[in-house]
Amino acid sequence: MNDAPLSGSVSRADLLVADDENLKAEAPLFKPPREQFLGLRGSVGRYQSMFLGMVGIIALFVAWEIAHVMTPENQQKFLPSVGQVVSKIAYLFTEKGYIADVAKSVYRIYVSFFFACLFAVPLGLFMGCFAKIRALINPTVGGLRYLPAASFVPLLLVYFGPTDFAKLALLFLGCVFFLTALILDNVEAVPKELIESAQTMGASRWHIVFRVAFRSAAPQILDSMRNMIAVSWTYLVIAEIVAATDGIGAVMMRGARFLHVDIIMGGILTIGVLGVLTDLSFRIAGHFLFPYIRARR
Amino acid sequence: MSILTEHTGAANHAAHEQGQASGEPPLRAERVTKEYLGGSRVALDNISIDIKENQITALIGPSGCGKTTFLRLMAGLEYPTRGSVTAYGKPIMGPGPERGMVFQAYTSFPWLTIRENVQHGMKIQGFSKAEQRDRAEHFLKLVHLDEYADAYPGELSGGMKQRVAIARTLAQGPELLLLDEPFGALDAQVTWEMEEMAVDIIERESKTVVLVTHDIQEAIYLADRILFFTRQPGRIKEDIAMEFKQGRRFAKKEELLVEPGYVDMEKRLYTMMREEIQGRIS
Repeated sequence: MNDAPLSGSVSRADLLVADDENLKAEAPLFKPPREQFLGLRGSVGRYQSMFLGMVGIIALFVAWEIAHVMTPENQQKFLPSVGQVVSKIAYLFTEKGYIADVAKSVYRIYVSFFFACLFAVPLGLFMGCFAKIRALINPTVGGLRYLPAASFVPLLLVYFGPTDFAKLALLFLGCVFFLTALILDNVEAVPKELIESAQTMGASRWHIVFRVAFRSAAPQILDSMRNMIAVSWTYLVIAEIVAATDGIGAVMMRGARFLHVDIIMGGILTIGVLGVLTDLSFRIAGHFLFPYIRARR
Repeated sequence: MSILTEHTGAANHAAHEQGQASGEPPLRAERVTKEYLGGSRVALDNISIDIKENQITALIGPSGCGKTTFLRLMAGLEYPTRGSVTAYGKPIMGPGPERGMVFQAYTSFPWLTIRENVQHGMKIQGFSKAEQRDRAEHFLKLVHLDEYADAYPGELSGGMKQRVAIARTLAQGPELLLLDEPFGALDAQVTWEMEEMAVDIIERESKTVVLVTHDIQEAIYLADRILFFTRQPGRIKEDIAMEFKQGRRFAKKEELLVEPGYVDMEKRLYTMMREEIQGRIS
């Protein structure tokens, strides 16, 4: 199997030093300089990457635990240990029906986000495809992005009262305008040549909008959604602070009323874990929806 | 010519027949002027020219001379400011499948396999399933990509992607093939292989071709006729028939290099190019 490189070097060696047998033998392996731990744009293996990620997470919990131990005994209930928080979460699940609250929060996030997508995807797509629709809508949507979602809370309370709808509406408002702007960017980034080559194939306008522009931008659109649903999770507690009886945010607010810091931190931890799972589910969806992204040379 | 090329979509086929029977040239530019920025930049200045049937016509000239603009007018992707561009006597009012175009940038749809890419144009035009399959097979063989039919474009090299583009464009059954620097993004050796493949394909499919290139050798090798463009305003400086080739096309590029008259032609074009860029920084 080593024939090819060897025969190449033989003829060259023959020319130079015909009788030197050494030159005909395979050269020893070359040892490049060891890659520095912080080599610029260095490589990281799959398992090394997983290991380093675990180290980061563990470091966070260790720091938390150290902070807990260093807190004076009579103050420790304001900074419970990792174990206390985890066992509190377990207690909430087993004794307090926490699963219903978690389910309610997940439901709120996904339903509101579904409607945000239902609004933002066609709007971003049409704005990206039609200059006049863009001129009509973009200044408004661009401006609405600057309104803090939290400022809608009183308004929504007046309009809808302490209903589920008010919470869904807040979560919707929190991400819909940013999502629209991101999707517009995704659609505008579709290469001009892709559109033009479809035109020279005789494709109709609608074919190009849905079958070329949308199809081409779809992986990036999913990425935008993944980033914006993360923002949605950050609004969850705000949505559930006021006049909520259920949901993770409501549980946390009840905890706050009785200075149960372990419950508050348990809520934070739950939202963190759910956020990571959401992110993962979007990545997995992308993996299966866009197999061609993986098929790279 | 393959039997498969006879089976074009019904509507397209009719247009084809009508076009060729009319005795009009495949493409005609009449006093075409194209201005940009409200007339402050004249890309094309009063150009009148006919493109001849079954010829390969190369448009060359210095950067920014309007050769690509001229091709885009023929494709219907842009419109002239003055004058008219007609295809078989009919004014060009937009892009259409009868004028297939290959771009310099890679335009394969990354979400479709190579076969689906080649079938896409036919699908749009309503070719039957069987026709789509047969023609895709034929054209993939023609560009030597039949083994890669089920791969995605992301898995292919630049040269292979351009071969997909050529197969896809031919498969839609165009009357005219417009090539906009199709090999411009490829490295030298791949370009050379692609040029030889292009000669082979155009010869087999007997197509009318308009090619934009900045490569003088490529123009001489591929073209039956070269239109040399000047820069700002864009005019046709010379209309040069490749008479030294005596109507032949060469399967191998080195066969051209030893042809009497080749060196003179190359020298002439280099001299013209130098005159054009003299004293200007491109």
